[in-house]
Amino acid sequence: MFGYVRPRRDLLAPEDLEAYRAAYCGLCRALGKQYGFAARFLVNYDMTFLYLLRASAAPAAQSARCWCPAKLCGRKDCTLDPEGFGAAAACTVILTVEKLRDNVRDEGFFRGLPYRFLTLLYRRAYCRAARRLPDFAALTVRQLHALHALEAAKSPSIDAVADAFAQIVAGCAGDLKDPALRRPTEQLLYQTGRFLYLADALDDLRGDCQQDAYNPLRYRFSVSDGALTQGDLDYLTQLTDSSVNLAGAALALLPMRAHEALLENVIYLGLPSVFAAVKAGKFQSRDRIQWNKNAKRENEDKETDR
Amino acid sequence: MKDPYEVLGVARTASDSEIKTAYRELVKKYHPDNYANNPLADLASEKMKEINEAYDAITKARAGSSGGYQSSYQSHGSNAYSGANSAYAQVRAYINANQLDAAESMLNTAANRDAEWYYLKGCIAYRRGWLDEARQNYQTAVAMVPNNYEYQNALRTVQGGYTPYRQANYQNNNMDTACELCNTLLCLNCLCGGCR
Repeated sequence: MFGYVRPRRDLLAPEDLEAYRAAYCGLCRALGKQYGFAARFLVNYDMTFLYLLRASAAPAAQSARCWCPAKLCGRKDCTLDPEGFGAAAACTVILTVEKLRDNVRDEGFFRGLPYRFLTLLYRRAYCRAARRLPDFAALTVRQLHALHALEAAKSPSIDAVADAFAQIVAGCAGDLKDPALRRPTEQLLYQTGRFLYLADALDDLRGDCQQDAYNPLRYRFSVSDGALTQGDLDYLTQLTDSSVNLAGAALALLPMRAHEALLENVIYLGLPSVFAAVKAGKFQSRDRIQWNKNAKRENEDKETDR
Repeated sequence: MKDPYEVLGVARTASDSEIKTAYRELVKKYHPDNYANNPLADLASEKMKEINEAYDAITKARAGSSGGYQSSYQSHGSNAYSGANSAYAQVRAYINANQLDAAESMLNTAANRDAEWYYLKGCIAYRRGWLDEARQNYQTAVAMVPNNYEYQNALRTVQGGYTPYRQANYQNNNMDTACELCNTLLCLNCLCGGCR
Protein backbone atom coordinates (compact mmCIF):
# COMPACT_ATOMS: atom_id res chain seq x y z
CA MET A 1 0.00 0.00 0.00
CA PHE A 2 2.51 2.58 -1.15
CA GLY A 3 2.56 5.33 -3.69
CA TYR A 4 2.23 9.08 -4.07
CA VAL A 5 -0.47 9.13 -6.75
CA ARG A 6 -3.64 8.67 -4.77
CA PRO A 7 -7.02 10.38 -4.38
CA ARG A 8 -8.23 12.49 -1.47
CA ARG A 9 -10.58 9.80 -0.20
CA ASP A 10 -12.40 12.18 2.12
CA LEU A 11 -13.45 14.27 -0.89
CA LEU A 12 -14.51 11.34 -3.09
CA ALA A 13 -18.14 10.41 -3.74
CA PRO A 14 -18.99 7.01 -2.13
CA GLU A 15 -19.40 5.31 -5.53
CA ASP A 16 -16.03 6.64 -6.72
CA LEU A 17 -14.35 5.47 -3.52
CA GLU A 18 -15.85 2.01 -4.07
CA ALA A 19 -14.63 2.02 -7.69
CA TYR A 20 -11.14 3.00 -6.50
CA ARG A 21 -11.00 0.25 -3.88
CA ALA A 22 -12.32 -2.28 -6.41
CA ALA A 23 -9.64 -1.23 -8.93
CA TYR A 24 -6.91 -1.57 -6.28
CA CYS A 25 -8.13 -5.07 -5.34
CA GLY A 26 -8.61 -5.92 -9.03
CA LEU A 27 -5.00 -5.02 -9.79
CA CYS A 28 -3.83 -7.15 -6.84
CA ARG A 29 -5.92 -10.07 -8.13
CA ALA A 30 -4.65 -9.62 -11.71
CA LEU A 31 -1.03 -9.58 -10.48
CA GLY A 32 -1.68 -12.83 -8.61
CA LYS A 33 -3.42 -14.49 -11.57
CA GLN A 34 -0.91 -13.40 -14.21
CA TYR A 35 2.41 -13.41 -12.31
CA GLY A 36 1.96 -15.66 -9.28
CA PHE A 37 1.04 -15.08 -5.65
CA ALA A 38 4.26 -13.20 -4.75
CA ALA A 39 3.41 -10.52 -7.35
CA ARG A 40 0.36 -9.54 -5.27
CA PHE A 41 2.76 -7.81 -2.85
CA LEU A 42 3.73 -5.34 -5.60
CA VAL A 43 0.29 -3.70 -5.80
CA ASN A 44 0.43 0.05 -5.14
CA TYR A 45 -1.56 3.26 -5.54
CA ASP A 46 0.53 4.57 -8.45
CA MET A 47 -0.24 1.56 -10.64
CA THR A 48 -3.91 1.61 -9.61
CA PHE A 49 -4.01 5.14 -11.01
CA LEU A 50 -2.33 3.89 -14.19
CA TYR A 51 -5.03 1.23 -14.62
CA LEU A 52 -7.85 3.73 -14.02
CA LEU A 53 -6.31 6.18 -16.49
CA ARG A 54 -5.91 3.58 -19.22
CA ALA A 55 -9.36 2.13 -18.55
CA SER A 56 -11.13 5.52 -18.64
CA ALA A 57 -11.66 5.43 -22.41
CA ALA A 58 -14.00 2.43 -22.09
CA PRO A 59 -17.17 2.01 -19.99
CA ALA A 60 -16.44 0.94 -16.39
CA ALA A 61 -15.76 -2.80 -16.03
CA GLN A 62 -17.90 -5.09 -13.85
CA SER A 63 -16.99 -5.83 -10.22
CA ALA A 64 -17.50 -9.00 -8.17
CA ARG A 65 -16.76 -10.32 -4.68
CA CYS A 66 -13.31 -11.93 -4.71
CA TRP A 67 -11.20 -13.74 -2.12
CA CYS A 68 -8.69 -11.41 -0.48
CA PRO A 69 -5.54 -12.99 1.04
CA ALA A 70 -5.09 -9.95 3.32
CA LYS A 71 -8.45 -10.71 4.95
CA LEU A 72 -7.79 -14.50 5.10
CA CYS A 73 -11.40 -15.72 5.05
CA GLY A 74 -12.90 -12.45 3.79
CA ARG A 75 -13.99 -11.30 0.38
CA LYS A 76 -13.80 -7.83 -1.16
CA ASP A 77 -15.22 -6.11 -4.22
CA CYS A 78 -12.74 -6.18 -7.08
CA THR A 79 -12.89 -5.04 -10.69
CA LEU A 80 -12.90 -7.88 -13.22
CA ASP A 81 -10.98 -6.61 -16.24
CA PRO A 82 -8.13 -9.06 -17.08
CA GLU A 83 -7.34 -7.39 -20.42
CA GLY A 84 -7.41 -3.87 -18.94
CA PHE A 85 -5.23 -4.85 -15.98
CA GLY A 86 -2.73 -6.61 -18.26
CA ALA A 87 -0.60 -3.54 -19.10
CA ALA A 88 -0.75 -2.06 -15.58
CA ALA A 89 0.28 -5.41 -14.03
CA ALA A 90 3.16 -5.86 -16.53
CA CYS A 91 4.39 -2.29 -15.86
CA THR A 92 4.24 -2.95 -12.10
CA VAL A 93 6.41 -6.07 -12.38
CA ILE A 94 8.94 -4.52 -14.80
CA LEU A 95 9.37 -1.33 -12.76
CA THR A 96 9.75 -3.22 -9.47
CA VAL A 97 12.31 -5.72 -10.77
CA GLU A 98 14.35 -3.07 -12.57
CA LYS A 99 14.38 -0.99 -9.37
CA LEU A 100 15.53 -4.08 -7.44
CA ARG A 101 18.32 -4.67 -9.99
CA ASP A 102 19.30 -1.02 -9.65
CA ASN A 103 19.54 -1.48 -5.87
CA VAL A 104 21.70 -4.61 -6.35
CA ARG A 105 24.11 -2.49 -8.43
CA ASP A 106 24.11 0.38 -5.90
CA GLU A 107 24.51 -1.58 -2.67
CA GLY A 108 27.48 -3.69 -1.59
CA PHE A 109 27.42 -7.50 -1.65
CA PHE A 110 25.95 -8.08 1.82
CA ARG A 111 23.55 -5.12 1.85
CA GLY A 112 22.44 -6.11 -1.65
CA LEU A 113 21.56 -9.69 -0.65
CA PRO A 114 17.83 -9.01 0.06
CA TYR A 115 17.51 -7.31 -3.35
CA ARG A 116 19.27 -10.25 -5.06
CA PHE A 117 16.83 -12.65 -3.38
CA LEU A 118 13.79 -10.60 -4.45
CA THR A 119 15.13 -10.27 -8.01
CA LEU A 120 15.38 -14.07 -8.17
CA LEU A 121 11.89 -14.43 -6.67
CA TYR A 122 10.35 -12.25 -9.40
CA ARG A 123 12.58 -13.48 -12.25
CA ARG A 124 9.92 -15.58 -14.02
CA ALA A 125 7.30 -12.86 -13.54
CA TYR A 126 9.69 -10.32 -15.06
CA CYS A 127 10.34 -12.50 -18.14
CA ARG A 128 6.59 -12.88 -18.71
CA ALA A 129 5.98 -9.13 -18.25
CA ALA A 130 8.90 -8.20 -20.55
CA ARG A 131 7.48 -10.51 -23.24
CA ARG A 132 4.21 -8.63 -23.01
CA LEU A 133 5.76 -5.13 -23.07
CA PRO A 134 9.26 -5.52 -24.61
CA ASP A 135 9.58 -1.85 -25.61
CA PHE A 136 8.69 -0.66 -22.13
CA ALA A 137 11.18 -3.09 -20.53
CA ALA A 138 13.96 -1.81 -22.83
CA LEU A 139 13.00 1.82 -22.19
CA THR A 140 13.09 1.27 -18.41
CA VAL A 141 16.59 -0.24 -18.56
CA ARG A 142 17.83 2.61 -20.80
CA GLN A 143 16.35 5.38 -18.67
CA LEU A 144 17.52 3.90 -15.37
CA HIS A 145 21.07 3.80 -16.80
CA ALA A 146 20.69 7.45 -17.84
CA LEU A 147 19.40 8.32 -14.38
CA HIS A 148 22.28 6.46 -12.78
CA ALA A 149 24.80 8.37 -14.92
CA LEU A 150 23.23 11.73 -14.01
CA GLU A 151 23.26 10.83 -10.32
CA ALA A 152 26.89 9.67 -10.51
CA ALA A 153 27.82 13.00 -12.15
CA LYS A 154 25.90 14.81 -9.37
CA SER A 155 23.80 16.69 -11.90
CA PRO A 156 22.45 20.02 -10.58
CA SER A 157 19.65 20.01 -13.19
CA ILE A 158 16.42 18.84 -11.56
CA ASP A 159 14.86 18.89 -15.05
CA ALA A 160 17.40 16.40 -16.44
CA VAL A 161 17.09 13.86 -13.61
CA ALA A 162 13.32 14.23 -13.33
CA ASP A 163 13.11 13.79 -17.13
CA ALA A 164 15.03 10.49 -17.00
CA PHE A 165 12.47 9.13 -14.54
CA ALA A 166 9.40 10.79 -16.10
CA GLN A 167 10.23 9.20 -19.48
CA ILE A 168 9.81 5.79 -17.82
CA VAL A 169 6.41 6.74 -16.37
CA ALA A 170 5.29 8.17 -19.75
CA GLY A 171 6.42 4.88 -21.35
CA CYS A 172 3.58 3.11 -19.49
CA ALA A 173 1.31 4.47 -22.27
CA GLY A 174 3.71 3.71 -25.12
CA ASP A 175 1.72 0.67 -26.29
CA LEU A 176 -1.50 2.64 -26.89
CA LYS A 177 -2.19 2.60 -30.63
CA ASP A 178 -4.49 5.62 -31.08
CA PRO A 179 -2.40 8.86 -31.07
CA ALA A 180 -5.42 10.89 -29.88
CA LEU A 181 -5.39 8.71 -26.76
CA ARG A 182 -1.65 8.07 -26.46
CA ARG A 183 -0.36 11.65 -26.64
CA PRO A 184 -2.47 13.12 -23.78
CA THR A 185 -1.89 9.98 -21.69
CA GLU A 186 1.87 10.18 -22.20
CA GLN A 187 1.89 13.89 -21.37
CA LEU A 188 -0.18 13.31 -18.23
CA LEU A 189 2.08 10.46 -17.12
CA TYR A 190 5.23 12.46 -17.91
CA GLN A 191 4.13 15.34 -15.67
CA THR A 192 3.00 12.89 -12.99
CA GLY A 193 6.43 11.24 -13.21
CA ARG A 194 8.13 14.61 -12.76
CA PHE A 195 5.92 15.28 -9.77
CA LEU A 196 6.75 11.86 -8.30
CA TYR A 197 10.49 12.37 -8.67
CA LEU A 198 10.48 15.85 -7.10
CA ALA A 199 8.16 14.83 -4.24
CA ASP A 200 10.34 11.80 -3.52
CA ALA A 201 13.51 13.93 -3.66
CA LEU A 202 12.02 16.37 -1.13
CA ASP A 203 10.84 13.49 1.06
CA ASP A 204 14.33 11.95 1.07
CA LEU A 205 16.27 15.22 1.39
CA ARG A 206 17.03 15.09 5.12
CA GLY A 207 18.14 11.43 4.98
CA ASP A 208 20.27 12.02 1.86
CA CYS A 209 21.99 14.98 3.54
CA GLN A 210 22.76 12.87 6.62
CA GLN A 211 24.20 10.04 4.48
CA ASP A 212 25.87 12.45 2.05
CA ALA A 213 23.97 10.74 -0.79
CA TYR A 214 23.01 12.36 -4.09
CA ASN A 215 19.79 14.35 -4.15
CA PRO A 216 19.17 16.81 -7.02
CA LEU A 217 17.69 19.38 -4.62
CA ARG A 218 21.03 19.55 -2.73
CA TYR A 219 22.81 20.69 -5.91
CA ARG A 220 20.06 22.94 -7.30
CA PHE A 221 19.11 24.86 -4.15
CA SER A 222 20.83 25.97 -0.97
CA VAL A 223 20.15 23.38 1.72
CA SER A 224 20.82 23.90 5.42
CA ASP A 225 20.20 21.26 8.13
CA GLY A 226 18.66 18.93 5.55
CA ALA A 227 15.93 21.41 4.61
CA LEU A 228 15.28 23.95 1.85
CA THR A 229 14.83 27.64 2.58
CA GLN A 230 11.22 28.87 2.48
CA GLY A 231 11.88 30.69 -0.82
CA ASP A 232 13.25 27.55 -2.48
CA LEU A 233 10.40 25.48 -1.08
CA ASP A 234 7.90 27.93 -2.59
CA TYR A 235 9.77 27.77 -5.90
CA LEU A 236 9.65 23.96 -5.87
CA THR A 237 5.95 24.04 -5.01
CA GLN A 238 5.30 26.28 -8.02
CA LEU A 239 7.18 23.81 -10.24
CA THR A 240 5.06 20.89 -9.02
CA ASP A 241 1.89 23.01 -9.33
CA SER A 242 2.82 23.66 -12.97
CA SER A 243 3.20 19.91 -13.49
CA VAL A 244 -0.26 19.38 -11.97
CA ASN A 245 -1.69 22.07 -14.30
CA LEU A 246 -0.13 20.43 -17.37
CA ALA A 247 -1.32 16.98 -16.26
CA GLY A 248 -4.83 18.40 -15.78
CA ALA A 249 -4.82 20.02 -19.22
CA ALA A 250 -3.84 16.63 -20.71
CA LEU A 251 -6.55 14.84 -18.70
CA ALA A 252 -9.21 17.18 -20.16
CA LEU A 253 -8.28 16.01 -23.66
CA LEU A 254 -8.87 12.32 -22.95
CA PRO A 255 -12.09 10.82 -24.30
CA MET A 256 -13.36 9.71 -20.89
CA ARG A 257 -16.22 7.28 -20.49
CA ALA A 258 -15.49 6.23 -16.89
CA HIS A 259 -13.70 7.33 -13.70
CA GLU A 260 -13.64 11.03 -14.69
CA ALA A 261 -14.34 12.41 -11.19
CA LEU A 262 -11.93 9.92 -9.63
CA LEU A 263 -9.05 10.83 -11.95
CA GLU A 264 -9.70 14.56 -11.50
CA ASN A 265 -9.66 14.05 -7.75
CA VAL A 266 -6.23 12.36 -7.97
CA ILE A 267 -4.72 15.10 -10.16
CA TYR A 268 -6.25 18.25 -8.70
CA LEU A 269 -6.69 17.26 -5.05
CA GLY A 270 -4.56 14.18 -4.35
CA LEU A 271 -1.23 15.33 -5.80
CA PRO A 272 -1.22 18.82 -4.19
CA SER A 273 -2.27 17.29 -0.84
CA VAL A 274 0.51 14.71 -1.01
CA PHE A 275 3.08 17.43 -1.79
CA ALA A 276 1.78 19.56 1.09
CA ALA A 277 2.16 16.52 3.40
CA VAL A 278 5.70 15.91 2.12
CA LYS A 279 6.59 19.58 2.73
CA ALA A 280 5.20 19.39 6.25
CA GLY A 281 7.24 16.21 6.89
CA LYS A 282 4.03 14.20 7.43
CA PHE A 283 4.55 11.78 4.57
CA GLN A 284 7.40 9.64 5.92
CA SER A 285 7.35 6.01 4.83
CA ARG A 286 5.99 4.64 8.09
CA ASP A 287 3.09 7.12 7.95
CA ARG A 288 2.17 6.50 4.34
CA ILE A 289 -0.56 4.00 5.11
CA GLN A 290 -1.97 6.33 7.76
CA TRP A 291 -1.80 9.40 5.54
CA ASN A 292 -5.29 9.23 4.10
CA LYS A 293 -6.76 8.62 7.55
CA ASN A 294 -4.89 11.65 8.91
CA ALA A 295 -6.10 13.81 5.99
CA LYS A 296 -9.66 12.69 6.67
CA ARG A 297 -9.31 13.45 10.38
CA GLU A 298 -7.89 16.92 9.66
CA ASN A 299 -10.81 17.61 7.34
CA GLU A 300 -13.28 16.51 10.01
CA ASP A 301 -11.53 18.77 12.53
CA LYS A 302 -11.89 21.73 10.15
CA GLU A 303 -15.60 20.96 9.73
CA THR A 304 -16.01 20.86 13.52
CA ASP A 305 -14.17 24.19 13.92
CA ARG A 306 -16.43 25.74 11.32
CA MET B 1 -19.08 13.42 -38.13
CA LYS B 2 -19.92 12.59 -34.51
CA ASP B 3 -23.41 13.13 -33.13
CA PRO B 4 -23.39 16.87 -32.22
CA TYR B 5 -25.50 16.26 -29.10
CA GLU B 6 -22.96 13.68 -27.93
CA VAL B 7 -20.09 16.14 -28.55
CA LEU B 8 -21.79 18.78 -26.37
CA GLY B 9 -22.81 16.14 -23.82
CA VAL B 10 -26.52 17.04 -23.85
CA ALA B 11 -29.70 15.06 -24.50
CA ARG B 12 -31.62 15.54 -27.76
CA THR B 13 -34.49 16.89 -25.69
CA ALA B 14 -32.30 19.61 -24.07
CA SER B 15 -33.60 23.16 -24.25
CA ASP B 16 -31.79 25.88 -26.19
CA SER B 17 -30.49 27.44 -22.98
CA GLU B 18 -29.17 24.08 -21.74
CA ILE B 19 -27.31 23.62 -25.02
CA LYS B 20 -25.87 27.10 -24.82
CA THR B 21 -24.72 26.52 -21.22
CA ALA B 22 -23.07 23.19 -22.13
CA TYR B 23 -21.39 24.83 -25.13
CA ARG B 24 -20.02 27.72 -23.05
CA GLU B 25 -18.65 25.32 -20.43
CA LEU B 26 -16.81 23.35 -23.12
CA VAL B 27 -15.45 26.54 -24.72
CA LYS B 28 -14.08 27.59 -21.32
CA LYS B 29 -12.52 24.16 -20.85
CA TYR B 30 -10.76 23.94 -24.23
CA HIS B 31 -10.07 27.66 -24.73
CA PRO B 32 -6.74 28.31 -26.53
CA ASP B 33 -5.52 30.28 -23.46
CA ASN B 34 -5.62 27.04 -21.44
CA TYR B 35 -3.23 25.42 -23.93
CA ALA B 36 -0.87 28.32 -24.72
CA ASN B 37 2.51 26.84 -25.73
CA ASN B 38 1.22 23.42 -24.61
CA PRO B 39 2.54 20.43 -26.62
CA LEU B 40 -1.10 19.29 -26.91
CA ALA B 41 -2.33 22.65 -28.27
CA ASP B 42 -3.14 21.04 -31.63
CA LEU B 43 -5.43 18.46 -29.99
CA ALA B 44 -7.18 21.19 -27.97
CA SER B 45 -7.65 23.19 -31.17
CA GLU B 46 -9.22 20.17 -32.91
CA LYS B 47 -11.51 19.68 -29.94
CA MET B 48 -12.62 23.34 -30.13
CA LYS B 49 -13.31 22.93 -33.83
CA GLU B 50 -15.42 19.84 -33.17
CA ILE B 51 -17.39 21.65 -30.43
CA ASN B 52 -18.01 24.67 -32.67
CA GLU B 53 -19.17 22.45 -35.55
CA ALA B 54 -21.49 20.52 -33.23
CA TYR B 55 -22.97 23.75 -31.84
CA ASP B 56 -23.42 25.21 -35.33
CA ALA B 57 -25.07 21.97 -36.54
CA ILE B 58 -27.58 21.98 -33.66
CA THR B 59 -28.38 25.69 -33.93
CA LYS B 60 -28.85 25.44 -37.71
CA ALA B 61 -31.11 22.40 -37.35
CA ARG B 62 -33.18 24.15 -34.69
CA ALA B 63 -33.22 27.46 -36.59
CA GLY B 64 -34.95 25.58 -39.44
CA SER B 65 -37.94 25.07 -37.16
CA SER B 66 -37.86 28.18 -34.95
CA GLY B 67 -35.73 30.67 -36.91
CA GLY B 68 -32.68 32.75 -35.88
CA TYR B 69 -29.81 31.80 -33.54
CA GLN B 70 -26.49 33.11 -32.35
CA SER B 71 -23.35 31.88 -34.09
CA SER B 72 -20.59 29.93 -32.33
CA TYR B 73 -17.36 31.15 -30.71
CA GLN B 74 -14.70 32.09 -33.23
CA SER B 75 -11.05 31.51 -32.45
CA HIS B 76 -9.05 34.70 -32.77
CA GLY B 77 -5.68 33.20 -33.68
CA SER B 78 -3.82 33.97 -30.50
CA ASN B 79 -0.47 32.97 -31.94
CA ALA B 80 -0.31 35.84 -34.42
CA TYR B 81 3.27 37.06 -34.53
CA SER B 82 4.73 39.94 -36.45
CA GLY B 83 8.38 39.82 -35.39
CA ALA B 84 10.99 41.28 -37.74
CA ASN B 85 13.56 38.50 -37.24
CA SER B 86 12.88 35.78 -39.80
CA ALA B 87 15.11 33.27 -37.95
CA TYR B 88 12.97 33.67 -34.84
CA ALA B 89 9.83 33.31 -36.98
CA GLN B 90 11.21 30.00 -38.25
CA VAL B 91 12.03 28.88 -34.68
CA ARG B 92 8.44 29.70 -33.67
CA ALA B 93 7.13 27.68 -36.60
CA TYR B 94 9.24 24.69 -35.50
CA ILE B 95 8.02 25.05 -31.92
CA ASN B 96 4.38 25.20 -33.03
CA ALA B 97 4.95 22.05 -35.10
CA ASN B 98 6.49 20.34 -32.00
CA GLN B 99 9.85 19.98 -33.85
CA LEU B 100 11.78 20.96 -30.75
CA ASP B 101 15.22 19.62 -31.71
CA ALA B 102 15.14 21.58 -34.99
CA ALA B 103 13.99 24.71 -33.14
CA GLU B 104 16.75 24.39 -30.56
CA SER B 105 19.58 23.79 -33.04
CA MET B 106 18.44 26.80 -35.09
CA LEU B 107 18.21 28.95 -31.96
CA ASN B 108 21.70 27.90 -30.83
CA THR B 109 23.20 29.25 -34.05
CA ALA B 110 21.97 32.79 -33.27
CA ALA B 111 24.84 35.12 -32.43
CA ASN B 112 22.80 37.66 -30.47
CA ARG B 113 21.07 36.43 -27.32
CA ASP B 114 18.35 39.01 -26.75
CA ALA B 115 15.12 38.76 -24.75
CA GLU B 116 13.29 36.91 -27.52
CA TRP B 117 16.09 34.34 -27.70
CA TYR B 118 15.59 33.55 -24.00
CA TYR B 119 11.80 33.53 -24.41
CA LEU B 120 12.00 31.02 -27.27
CA LYS B 121 14.53 28.92 -25.33
CA GLY B 122 11.99 28.89 -22.48
CA CYS B 123 9.19 27.86 -24.87
CA ILE B 124 11.23 24.86 -26.06
CA ALA B 125 12.00 23.81 -22.47
CA TYR B 126 8.33 24.27 -21.47
CA ARG B 127 7.11 22.05 -24.30
CA ARG B 128 9.61 19.37 -23.25
CA GLY B 129 8.28 19.61 -19.69
CA TRP B 130 11.58 21.03 -18.37
CA LEU B 131 9.81 23.59 -16.23
CA ASP B 132 12.76 24.79 -14.12
CA GLU B 133 14.80 25.63 -17.23
CA ALA B 134 11.74 27.21 -18.87
CA ARG B 135 11.16 29.42 -15.87
CA GLN B 136 14.76 30.60 -15.69
CA ASN B 137 14.74 31.54 -19.39
CA TYR B 138 11.38 33.33 -19.11
CA GLN B 139 12.69 35.25 -16.08
CA THR B 140 15.74 36.39 -18.08
CA ALA B 141 13.50 37.49 -20.97
CA VAL B 142 11.21 39.46 -18.63
CA ALA B 143 14.21 41.03 -16.88
CA MET B 144 15.59 42.19 -20.27
CA VAL B 145 12.26 43.52 -21.59
CA PRO B 146 9.91 43.99 -18.61
CA ASN B 147 6.94 45.39 -20.56
CA ASN B 148 6.44 42.52 -23.01
CA TYR B 149 3.03 40.93 -22.34
CA GLU B 150 3.92 37.67 -24.11
CA TYR B 151 6.98 37.09 -21.90
CA GLN B 152 5.10 38.07 -18.74
CA ASN B 153 2.24 35.71 -19.58
CA ALA B 154 4.62 32.81 -20.21
CA LEU B 155 6.37 33.42 -16.89
CA ARG B 156 3.03 33.59 -15.06
CA THR B 157 2.02 30.25 -16.54
CA VAL B 158 5.17 28.45 -15.42
CA GLN B 159 4.94 30.05 -11.97
CA GLY B 160 1.67 28.17 -11.51
CA GLY B 161 -0.20 31.47 -11.39
CA TYR B 162 -2.45 30.49 -14.25
CA THR B 163 -4.75 27.57 -13.54
CA PRO B 164 -6.67 25.63 -16.16
CA TYR B 165 -10.45 25.60 -16.18
CA ARG B 166 -10.97 22.40 -14.18
CA GLN B 167 -8.51 23.22 -11.46
CA ALA B 168 -10.12 26.59 -10.97
CA ASN B 169 -13.35 24.69 -10.23
CA TYR B 170 -11.57 22.46 -7.71
CA GLN B 171 -10.11 25.46 -5.92
CA ASN B 172 -13.54 26.78 -5.01
CA ASN B 173 -13.39 25.35 -1.50
CA ASN B 174 -13.79 28.85 -0.07
CA MET B 175 -16.99 29.40 -2.03
CA ASP B 176 -19.03 27.71 0.70
CA THR B 177 -17.81 30.27 3.19
CA ALA B 178 -18.58 33.09 0.72
CA CYS B 179 -22.11 31.74 0.17
CA GLU B 180 -22.64 31.43 3.90
CA LEU B 181 -21.56 35.07 4.28
CA CYS B 182 -23.99 36.19 1.55
CA ASN B 183 -26.83 34.23 3.16
CA THR B 184 -26.04 35.77 6.54
CA LEU B 185 -26.06 39.27 5.04
CA LEU B 186 -29.38 38.58 3.28
CA CYS B 187 -30.94 37.30 6.51
CA LEU B 188 -29.59 40.32 8.38
CA ASN B 189 -31.05 42.60 5.72
CA CYS B 190 -34.47 40.91 6.09
CA LEU B 191 -34.33 41.18 9.88
CA CYS B 192 -33.54 44.89 9.59
CA GLY B 193 -36.61 45.37 7.42
CA GLY B 194 -34.92 45.30 4.02
CA CYS B 195 -37.46 42.76 2.67
CA ARG B 196 -40.47 45.00 3.01
